[in-house]
Amino acid sequence: MEKIVVLLHTEPDGTLSRPALEALTVVRSLAADLGSEFAAALVGESVQEAAGLVAGAGASSIYAVEGSDFHHARYTSDAVALDALCRRAAADLVVAPGTSRWNRVLPGIACRFGGRIDTHVCDINVEGGAPVVTRWYYRQRMKARIGRTQRPWFIVCDPGSFSAFEGEVKEVPIEPIATPLAETGFKTEVVGFQKPAEGGQTIRPDAELLFVAGAGWTKMQPDGNARVGDAERLILSFLKSTRASLGGSKSMVDLSSEGQETLAFMTHLNQIGQTGATPRHPKGLSTCCHGEEPHVVGWRFITERRAVNLDPNCGWAQGKADVLYVGDAFEIISKVNELLAEG
Amino acid sequence: MNGGYQIVVCGSIVPDPLQTLEPVAGPTGPALRNEMMLPAVLDPWAAHALYEAANLAKQHSGSKVWWVALGPKAKLQQLMMSMAQKVPFELVALDGTASGFSDSWEVAEALAGAIESIPELDRDRLLLFGGWESASRGTGVTMQMVGERLGITDQFQGVDELTIESDGSLRLLERVEGGHHQVSVCGSPPVVVGWATGRLPEPPNNPQVGMLNMRTVMPALQRAKLVQLSTEGLTFHSVDLPEQRRETRIVRDSSADEIALELVDWIKSD
Amino acid sequence: MLDSERQSIDLDIVCVGLGPATGGFLTTLSRGLIRADGTPEIESKVMPGMPLQVACYERADDIGFGVSGIATRARSLKESFPELNVAEISLAAEITSEKVLYLLDPIGAGRRSPTLRMADRIIRALKWLPFFEKDAFELPYIPPFLRKEGGFVFSIGQLMQWVGADLMSTGTAVIWPGTPVSGPLIEGENVVGVRLVDQGVDKEGRPAGGYMPGMDIRAALTVVGDGPVGPVGRQLDEHFGFPEGNQHTEWAVGAKMVIDLRDDVRLEPGTIFHTFGFPEPEIFGFMYAHTECIVSAGIFVPSWFKNPARTSYRYLQHWMMHPYFWRYLEGGRLRSWGAKSLQESGRRGEPFLVGNGYARIGEGSGSTNVLTGSGVDEAWMTGKQLAESVLELAKAEKQYTKENLEQTYVKKRRSSWVEKEGRIAEKSRDGFQRSVVRGMIGMVLAGFTGGKLTLSGKSGKDEASTLEDYYRGKIPPAELDRIRRECTEQGLPLHDALMQKVGWPEIPFDGQLLVSQQDALLMGGKVQAPAGYADHVVFLYPELCENCGDKICVEICSGQAIEREPEGGVRFDREKCVHCGACFWNCSHSVAAGEGKSNIEFRAGAGGLHSAEN
Repeated sequence: MEKIVVLLHTEPDGTLSRPALEALTVVRSLAADLGSEFAAALVGESVQEAAGLVAGAGASSIYAVEGSDFHHARYTSDAVALDALCRRAAADLVVAPGTSRWNRVLPGIACRFGGRIDTHVCDINVEGGAPVVTRWYYRQRMKARIGRTQRPWFIVCDPGSFSAFEGEVKEVPIEPIATPLAETGFKTEVVGFQKPAEGGQTIRPDAELLFVAGAGWTKMQPDGNARVGDAERLILSFLKSTRASLGGSKSMVDLSSEGQETLAFMTHLNQIGQTGATPRHPKGLSTCCHGEEPHVVGWRFITERRAVNLDPNCGWAQGKADVLYVGDAFEIISKVNELLAEG
Repeated sequence: MNGGYQIVVCGSIVPDPLQTLEPVAGPTGPALRNEMMLPAVLDPWAAHALYEAANLAKQHSGSKVWWVALGPKAKLQQLMMSMAQKVPFELVALDGTASGFSDSWEVAEALAGAIESIPELDRDRLLLFGGWESASRGTGVTMQMVGERLGITDQFQGVDELTIESDGSLRLLERVEGGHHQVSVCGSPPVVVGWATGRLPEPPNNPQVGMLNMRTVMPALQRAKLVQLSTEGLTFHSVDLPEQRRETRIVRDSSADEIALELVDWIKSD
Repeated sequence: MLDSERQSIDLDIVCVGLGPATGGFLTTLSRGLIRADGTPEIESKVMPGMPLQVACYERADDIGFGVSGIATRARSLKESFPELNVAEISLAAEITSEKVLYLLDPIGAGRRSPTLRMADRIIRALKWLPFFEKDAFELPYIPPFLRKEGGFVFSIGQLMQWVGADLMSTGTAVIWPGTPVSGPLIEGENVVGVRLVDQGVDKEGRPAGGYMPGMDIRAALTVVGDGPVGPVGRQLDEHFGFPEGNQHTEWAVGAKMVIDLRDDVRLEPGTIFHTFGFPEPEIFGFMYAHTECIVSAGIFVPSWFKNPARTSYRYLQHWMMHPYFWRYLEGGRLRSWGAKSLQESGRRGEPFLVGNGYARIGEGSGSTNVLTGSGVDEAWMTGKQLAESVLELAKAEKQYTKENLEQTYVKKRRSSWVEKEGRIAEKSRDGFQRSVVRGMIGMVLAGFTGGKLTLSGKSGKDEASTLEDYYRGKIPPAELDRIRRECTEQGLPLHDALMQKVGWPEIPFDGQLLVSQQDALLMGGKVQAPAGYADHVVFLYPELCENCGDKICVEICSGQAIEREPEGGVRFDREKCVHCGACFWNCSHSVAAGEGKSNIEFRAGAGGLHSAEN
């Protein structure tokens, strides 16, 4: 029988993030399908609150590495914690959420244990008594269903692909795991976070709507002039009233690094597509963007898609959007803003 | 730093981003349709890593950049024609597959082996660079495994900025959730840095750099070690392009007012 | 040294453009540079002790990103590779069957002369003959000069990739794609190398972030193989002029698609079709079957086609939908697309082949045979001839002077089949300037008499009609005015509206083969343009454009990269340009007394197609 463990880290406030709760859903279902139990291993400054929920999810044992050294995401300390936890759990199948913290350290740990790792996992089934994992290749352009004989097998779930576990909190004993931390301390210190300035925060992962601006916003208009200033004003006003998350096409964000006139608030972090992000939002609105395949790859997880483009034959028309509005985005978004302002 | 840094960049080819990709069953597992015909480029994140490496090397005298690439020799040779004029490097070539379907464990083992065999590599000056993800496998795991194999446990992923402080420590900005950056300071090398896009534009083509690089590139390609990546233990049950064709309603003749009304209704709907 | 100072490097030989001609040159040269023991056969003058230092600078972002679907007799290629196994080259196949078809017009919207209309009626009356099928008449006999038997069908992109890989692996020459050359370095009457384009500049060419002035590549010999629209060749033409009686007056733009056929269509690899008659009588077409159920299909729109709304893209779509071909192509999927200019003056467009420090090879040197429709075979041969000459001169420690190059390269070329067949073809297409029928008869006469008999045409540059003249009797002037006004307001070319007006049906877009021109750029050509380079299409006197009625540049532009501005002028979008160069020779405004200088300057630029299948 396969031994299963779910690896979770707590947030600074001691809670579990949504991706962690999704991983709980996954491990419960996997264990049930395989007829196994599952253990949980927790890392964080404080894990008590999270442990209660994990116990409620049915973990047979809970191991934890706790303390201020584990407050921040840092490869060295996280690796020390996970090394100790994985030794204790001695699992064949390791389920974990694909957070930035785990993505940084889990591959190294898998390697340390002679295991294999798959990330961007969006589905897990059991076929013939063995897990079959569905994951993305070529940056969300194709999906494969794979199986592995090597163990341990680290299965890292793509956030947003599964439902979040909801359940009762239970009281359970936690088995604290000691870690051999280096006496000299860590060579790396996390000193803080950089966030966009107040009002400049344009990436909102929890937003209902993704608003994508293509390079067309900066192109010459029929009157022969570029209207970058107008574009900035319209887009910011739209984002303000809709609380949408802002994305850009590659050509749009490339303009900013090439020193060409572009939207001041558009950076590479906003890029959606093959070489950018693949965010998850219920709705997406594309403007001034042609809708070619490499860009649309980044829309894989946008449920409802609408586009505004001057060209009725653009890529969006070819089955890539639900609705394509043929029109001038300047004019349309200006009207949209007026309507939104009226409430 | 005295004597400068030794920067090893890992990176290989991926299909040119605008190409249409379609999986097919090959003799040794899944492959891309017309894979050898698809124009290839250096993986965009690895390219950023290479440019950052060159920039750092330029600022710290005595530094040197190695580029370790695993890919089909003919394709690597072609890639060198477009890359060798960009920045100075010494190539360490491995002749094998660059398929996105090859297993990252195997790739990491090959890369780590190649890095270990670079003569005179000084761990205390080593910066191991690569892309934080790739446009092929797209897993974001290989660099960490290479680092582990080389015993480097100060690792950073999704890095957009690396600055060397006056005391020689390294200050790094890593992408984390929500469009934020985590700021870390690492006392000294060795480190693993998986680059996101960084801040540097693509360098111009410099023929002098190209002619200089080519003196070592061709011999490196000629002595490229053949690498067979094992597929043992890994089974692909299926590989599919996700169904993505929607029924598109094209609204052609509506006024901006009408479209705006419809959009606002849609935005406000649950 | 500051990055912003112009730098210079010294080589022995610098080549410009990696097409078949330079492929032939470098392949031949590389075999003579190193002895079996690895020591240099010929020592470098710039790096004593080292082998000859040879580099080739190519504008496109990778080898084989140019365009040409070819069926070739491949005589020269077979000479270079006697053991050639075409199976090693993707998409290549031996030619297995040839058809020449006269396509009737099933739509009735084309502009056919009374003679052709009569011919059509006769052919339709005889449609029970075995040669008639699906509105096409197959010529029962193909004249020997048109046959390609024993030859190959190639994707020139894949052929060049194969050649390039072979070359690079020898280590004797380096090829630098993505490196446009802005022009030759001329000192007095000597060519001493080339200058690369500036990088890190804005679209007007002004220094911007990361400015690096184009480097000077100085070399004892500059090999110019940059094709018919290459900036080095054309600047040499401007500087040195043409030999008496020679000029570049005839052109064509070729547009093609590479298509995956639908599953149930089987065409034997190596099957080739050549067509004339449709969609307009002046437009020639071709379809070549490659391996793996892939075909190349394309058309040529020549400069003697009078319609100023000449669009190769739209006409190609109608050509593909001709019943004879649509039965194969319907349900197919676009893999690749591209376009290029062809220098149709052939031997009569030959410039001075050599001068002190330089030699011309390939299409830009007038090697294309306009009678047989063959260019790659000839281009490769001229490169091979030059390389043999260079090896001779280098071994004899002789300089690359005009005289020495004339006694070797030019002499070899003059005594070869390239010259002999080029002479036969020289006047074979003159009749086209008067009419298509006259042109066809002229070709046949020249082909069968070895060029002794030809039909004359008008001399001088081909001129398109005005729109008013071309559409007289079909579209009333007021309607023409309205279309022009509306398209200008919307920044659109006129051809779609005009063609629809005269009866061409709308293209039923299917999202996979029949797609908009903008989609073809991305789905087929994968067209891209890197930042940091100046615009390479420059309108010298914008006021001339503002007052230009027909704006043929907008209509012919293969990538819709030139657009009408509402104020009356035109603008250029580098990100859509495929570098076909059709704009400058289609511009109807002459701005200098010098031959062929129009109001559009087509300079060296970066980017373009990113497909290696064309």
